[in-house]
This record gives sequence, structure tokens and C-alpha cells, in this order.
Amino acid sequence: MSNSSRRGYKVEVWVTAVCFFIVAVIGGFFSSIVVILNERFFHQVPTPEPLIPAYGETMFVSIEGLEVLGFPLHYFLLVVLSWIGVTLIGAIWCIVMDRLEEQQRA
Amino acid sequence: MEPRGELFVLGLVLTIVVLLISVFISVWARRFTRTLGDYYVAGRSIGALNNGLAMVSLALSLTTFIGLTALIIEGLYIAVAVYAGFTGAFIGMLVLAAPFLRRHKSFTTMAFIAERYDSKTLRYISVIVMMIVSVLYLGGNLKGIGIVFYFLLGVPELWGIIVGGLVVTLYVTLGGMYGVTYNQTFQSIVLIFCLMFPVAVVLRSIGASGWAFPPLGYGDMVPLMTEVVPHYFWAMVAHPVTYIAIFLGSFFGIIGLPHFVMRYFTVRDAREARWSTVICVFLVGLVNTTVYATGFAAVYYMQTAGVDIAPAAYDYVVFILVEALAGEGWLALAIAGSVAAGLSTVSGLLLIMGAGLIHDLYGSIKPDVGDEKKLKLSYGAMIVVGVLVILFSLDPPEFILEAIMWAFGIAAAGLGVPIVLGIWWKRTNKYGVGAGMVVGTLVSFVCWIMIGYMGMDPVDIPFPFFAQYFYGPLGWIKVIAFTVPLSFILTIVVSWLTPPPPEELQRQVDEMHGWSDVDPTRYNGKALPITIIVLSVFIIWFMTTLYDQFPK
Repeated sequence: MSNSSRRGYKVEVWVTAVCFFIVAVIGGFFSSIVVILNERFFHQVPTPEPLIPAYGETMFVSIEGLEVLGFPLHYFLLVVLSWIGVTLIGAIWCIVMDRLEEQQRA
Repeated sequence: MEPRGELFVLGLVLTIVVLLISVFISVWARRFTRTLGDYYVAGRSIGALNNGLAMVSLALSLTTFIGLTALIIEGLYIAVAVYAGFTGAFIGMLVLAAPFLRRHKSFTTMAFIAERYDSKTLRYISVIVMMIVSVLYLGGNLKGIGIVFYFLLGVPELWGIIVGGLVVTLYVTLGGMYGVTYNQTFQSIVLIFCLMFPVAVVLRSIGASGWAFPPLGYGDMVPLMTEVVPHYFWAMVAHPVTYIAIFLGSFFGIIGLPHFVMRYFTVRDAREARWSTVICVFLVGLVNTTVYATGFAAVYYMQTAGVDIAPAAYDYVVFILVEALAGEGWLALAIAGSVAAGLSTVSGLLLIMGAGLIHDLYGSIKPDVGDEKKLKLSYGAMIVVGVLVILFSLDPPEFILEAIMWAFGIAAAGLGVPIVLGIWWKRTNKYGVGAGMVVGTLVSFVCWIMIGYMGMDPVDIPFPFFAQYFYGPLGWIKVIAFTVPLSFILTIVVSWLTPPPPEELQRQVDEMHGWSDVDPTRYNGKALPITIIVLSVFIIWFMTTLYDQFPK
């Protein structure tokens, strides 16, 4: 493997790994991260009676004040990152791969 | 409040117009079909914009229009998380599979697996997996068409399933992939407009100041909304592994769902495959976020207007809402958009089923049969598949989105894993793939039979040790957090314990990544498989932790 093709291979693998990781986090795992970090973003309150069968005796709710455009922060981030965020990541990956493809052809 | 269930003339007229245009497009597109390649992959001539729009209509099936809104009312925040994962999954598919599959030059997912691993047995197994996930996916969507017809005419859902199924079978048979692609492009445009405008009107009528941009236009109403529905945005619903299961199911499920992957075989080159996905994900996100707004508006309307909609009618709530708050003209548009959404997804699935049966199954059993005869057989197979699917759909699932989520889970374990490893790890061989596919599919499918079909409580199914952890809202979805890692572990471990694939098969991996030379060290390291195994074991272990911290 020549030096340029080795570099191209590394670029492909690393850019793909990083993009996949970011998309997985903001598109797929973000909710999970919110849940895991609930101590930071949420506080525990008693569950309203009708919801007890589904949620248990207590629930975590977002702390007041963490809002963007009127939305609770976790909801806003989930919606915007899983849409605009992943689109941008996809576009960046495509640009890098377009360039790599040109190098492969050359 | 009950769905109207009576003749709705304006809606019927618009629906018939959509159906007629769809058939017309197929008849027009028929002139382009000369060979088997034209019929199944549109001569690999589709551009990025056209393919991106076609993918949008595949992604935005009736489950988006109808099922997601119902799930938002049922499950609130977690439903949004499901679709956030689904939207991100397109980029997952882009970076892991899309352009590489295009370079492989197969016709179908099943052909890719058979050729990458040089195994007829794997071809047959993958055809069976494809049939299972396609029927599950179709059952949900045909029920959606039935729902629309009940709303339009007051006739039982059964008639909608039959009429919708026959129309789509007709135009898929007539037009092949050219017809399906141009139809899906047309249907994408129809469904985006037919969802965005009625929802904007609904938001305006409930007083959202940003109604003109539905995805975020209801933000200023959130304080009022949280007053009437305090738990709406409460995120803490389920064990974190539920979200991990959603991630695994959506990211690897979309790669495993053959009707999505087949779109990449139709484009001109790998670059078009890449950019079509970016176009698709932007539009899919736009529509999904609009649907979240619809779900919010429905919850808000039910609470503030004191309207009680029975849970069994949640699938109708989009139409009930648009009729109540926007009027009949907008309702007619929403119905036409829904029909377009249903038809586009069903058409893609029918085509892949026909291709699987004729190209992958029959063509493999009788390799000497010429393309011309296969093309003729394809027309017949498409009709037979269409009729069979209608028959299977006569007993549809209760909530359509759940059936789709099961399809994603089975596809992820059965097809997604071998595709991803086949692209990124040269050492993957047919023995490993066979073990992973068979076990992953079987475990998922048997769980679906018990939970999804027989209606057993997930914690009561005979699933040693793990069943107790399938508790909580959407608890069954944790099955995916077991089957996908299991499929990965089996595929990697068995591949390692058996002889490596021959050099010519490993060469395919270099070619898929665009390299003209071959290097045995590329895509052949130990870091990737070891990382995957560690993560897989961690996810399965994680399911058994924090048992007392989350609601049962």
C-alpha cells in the first residue's frame, strides 16, 4: 500500500468512525445520555396518579429555566440535533468522501 | 369522539386523483423498462435528487402520518426518541453502507449477501428473512390504508386493505423500478405538502404564534401546554437500554431493510448514493418534526377541548384533529397525503419481495434461465406477491407502528449485521454470517410471535433469565438490545474460529471502498471486531443492571 493510499484509508476509516459516533450520540443515544445524566438535568417528583402504572411512583422532570424557544432543553436538542445536526454531519462526511474518491481516481 | 366513518366526497376525489396519477406514472415509465436491470434497479440511472425524494416517501410511510401520532399520545417523549433515532439512522446507513453497496453492483440485499460470502444457503436464508420483515412492514402500512378508507367511505378497513393493495400491485407490476421511483418522487412531494399545510392550519387554530413553521412553531405554547399536560416532556420514562435498543434497531434495521437498501442499487454512482441520503434525511427530519407537532396538538386539543378519543381510535387522531381544527378542505389534503405515503412504502416493499423471489430464489435455483424469461416471470411474481400480502394483511396488528418496530428489530439482527460486517471487516465469512443471521433472526422472530402476535406480556415469555428485564413502557423493545449484539458476537466469533474467506471475496471489500489495488491489511484489523464484541457484551450486561432504578 502506497503512502497516499494508506493515508486515504486512514482518513476514510477515522472520518467514518467519528461521524458515526457523533450521529449515534446525537441521533440515537442522545435520549439515553439525557436519561443517564438525569441528576444534572432533572429532578425527581412524585408521579401523578394516572401515570403510576407506566412510570412508577416517581418521575424525573426537567428543571425549570432550561428552555430554548419555549421548549425544554432536552426536547429542543433531541429534535434539532437529530434533524439538522445529523444532516450536517452527513453532508460533511459526503464532502470528505467525494475528495477521497477523486484522490482514488487520480 | 369517534372517527367519522362516512362518505367524504372531497377526500375521495383527491384520493382517486392520487391513485390515478400513480397508475399513469407507471404506465408512462413502462417504456423505459427493457431488461431485468431496468425492471429491478431502473438501469442504475437515477440521480441524487430523484433518489433522495424517493427515499423520503419510503421512509415516511403511513406509520409516520398515523402511527407516530398515536404513539406520541400513548408514550409521549419516548415516541419522539424513537423517531429521532430513526432520522439519525439514515446517516448511520450513509456512512456504514450506502455508497459501498452501490459499488458492489448487486440487485438486492440478498444478492449482496450471497455474492459477498459466496453462499447459496445464505441467499435462501436472507430471502426468508426479507420476506418476514417485508410482510411485517407491509401489514402495518396496508392497515394504514384501510384506516384511511374507513375514514373516507365508512367501509370496513378490510376493503381499504384490498383496494389499496390491488392498486399498488397493479402499478408496481406495470412500471417496475422506474415506475416505483417516479411514483415515490411524486408521492414524496404530495405527502410533504399535504402534511405541512394542514398541520400549520391546526397550529394556527390552537393559537401557536409560529404556526407557519410547524416543526418548531408551537414552542411558545409549551408553557400553556405543560400546564394542561404536565408530563408531556418528562423524559424519564424507561431504562436507558430501551434507548440503546431503539438506536440498534433503527441504525442497523434500516441497513437491513431491503427496500431501503435497494434504492442505492438504482443510482448512477456512489457519489449520487451519498448525496441522495443527505437530501433524504433533511426532508425526513422536516416531516418527522412536523409530526411531533401534530402529536402535541392532538394531546393539547384533547385536554383543552375536553375531547375524549378512545385508545382504539388513536390511529385516526390526525384526521380527527385536522377535521375539527382545520376543516374539510384540509382534511381532504391530509387524506390524499396519507394515501400517497402508504402507497409509496408498499410499492417499494412489493418490488423487493418480487425481486427476492425471482432474481434471488428462482434465479439461483435455475441459473440458466435468461433475463427475458425472468422479466416475464417477475410480472407474474409481483401479482402473486401482491395478492399474498393482501391476504396476510387481513389480520393486521393493533397499533401499526409496533409492527414496523418489530420489522426493524428483525432486519437489524438478520440482515443489518452481515451487511455492515461484510463491508467493514474482510475476515467475516459465511459460517459466521450464517450463525449470526439464523440465531439473531430466530430469537427476534420467536419473540415477535409470542409478544407481537400472541399478545403475551414480555416479562412472561419463556426467555431464560432475560424475560424479567423486558418490563416497563415498550419493554419488549429491549429484545433488540439482546438480539443485535448476539448476532454481532456470533458472526465475529464464528468467523474467527473458522477459515478466512478466499482472497477473491476479500477483494470485494477493497472494491466496495473504491480502491483499485488490493491490500490484505485494509479492513482486516482486530480493533473493529474486538470493539464490537466489547460493546455488545456491555449492552447485554447493561440490560440486567439498574433493575430497581426504573419503573416496572
